Amino acid sequence: MVVKAAETQFDLESTFRAQYGRIARIIARVVRDRARAEELAVEVFLKLWRNRQAQDGQAEAWLYRVAVRTGLNELRRQTRQTRYERLLGFVRRSPTPEEIHAATEEQANVRLVLNAIAPRQAELLLLRSQGLRYDEVAAALALDPASIGTLLRRAQQAFRKEYIKRYGE
Amino acid sequence: MANNAAHLDVWVDQRLAVLDVAGDWQPNMSRALARLRDRSASPSGRGRAWLWAAAATTMAVCLSLVTFPAPRALAQRCLNCSAALLQNFAAPGPGHANLIPEKDRKPAPDFTLTDAAGQPVRLSALRGKVLLLNFWATWCHGCKAEIPWFIEFQRAYQSRDFVVLGVSRDDDGWKAVRPYINAKKVNYRVMIGNDAVARVYGAAEMLPVTVLIDKSGRIAAKHAGVVSQSDCRAEIETLL
Repeated sequence: MVVKAAETQFDLESTFRAQYGRIARIIARVVRDRARAEELAVEVFLKLWRNRQAQDGQAEAWLYRVAVRTGLNELRRQTRQTRYERLLGFVRRSPTPEEIHAATEEQANVRLVLNAIAPRQAELLLLRSQGLRYDEVAAALALDPASIGTLLRRAQQAFRKEYIKRYGE
Repeated sequence: MANNAAHLDVWVDQRLAVLDVAGDWQPNMSRALARLRDRSASPSGRGRAWLWAAAATTMAVCLSLVTFPAPRALAQRCLNCSAALLQNFAAPGPGHANLIPEKDRKPAPDFTLTDAAGQPVRLSALRGKVLLLNFWATWCHGCKAEIPWFIEFQRAYQSRDFVVLGVSRDDDGWKAVRPYINAKKVNYRVMIGNDAVARVYGAAEMLPVTVLIDKSGRIAAKHAGVVSQSDCRAEIETLL
């Protein structure tokens, strides 16, 4: 039993070493605070460690899906928090230097649009723009590879529509 | 069409490109690895979350009990109720006999009623035996809970001059009572009561009422409401 646990630990660590950088970057694209993105990336690997089923076979695809979902969830949480703070007229806490550096206005706009469209579509766009091939995106989101093209097109249209609605061309 | 699609592709890619993380950013691998080792070695977050939730709930309950008198009274009542239930249903431990002292006992009012077989039953004719007289009805849930205990008492003590008598207060008489006592295999005599008998034993207003009558025909104990099985057993044993 102890040997088994040690084995799992070892496997987790080698997967971690191979994938951590990529997973942290996926999350950092949507989460403005990088320290927070790193924290969340570790959480993704802990989920993998607890979810034994995901470990056999397609661990990589699973990691991408969970990473992109975790990032979007955090984005949603942050957006909500900002809205409440503004709504309640709280004294706006001054942004950390990290935030100023990370969140340009255009980045914030794109993130808000991603937050507004359907989560499935946002996941698809983020994974695709991360440089994943169609078959990799399909594996990560458990979709039929043949339908990825169509779904991606629809997601792009939704993104464009929402973007133009908010900020114009 | 294809041109449009390509255009859209490029347009969206350009927008999403602003999210690209600067190439100079390197996530801190050693710090993350240390955190991973630490977290995967400790009990799972979910387990800990449960622990926290349980602790917080207990705390909240305690605080509200301490702060507000109403929940305190309610909690006391709940505790009493559950203690009584446990005593009756779970733990048939030694009961506590609570009998009227012999010098204060009054003679049980006599009556004659007819049992299910059509035979008259006269209370005074049973003098010399310990009697358990139970007023009940088929529509009374508390009464029905007691019946299995009385069946057991009858079986256990009938060889030692002990008799259970059931007096039903059903308005429908035998039409309601006979099917019930047949179904429950009631092993003691059951009669249909009347208002006069019920009144003298205090069973006109409430049910169930259980009266224990000693060998001299005097009332040794009177329980209004559901009896405690273990107390009742202790009282019977004392009287025998």
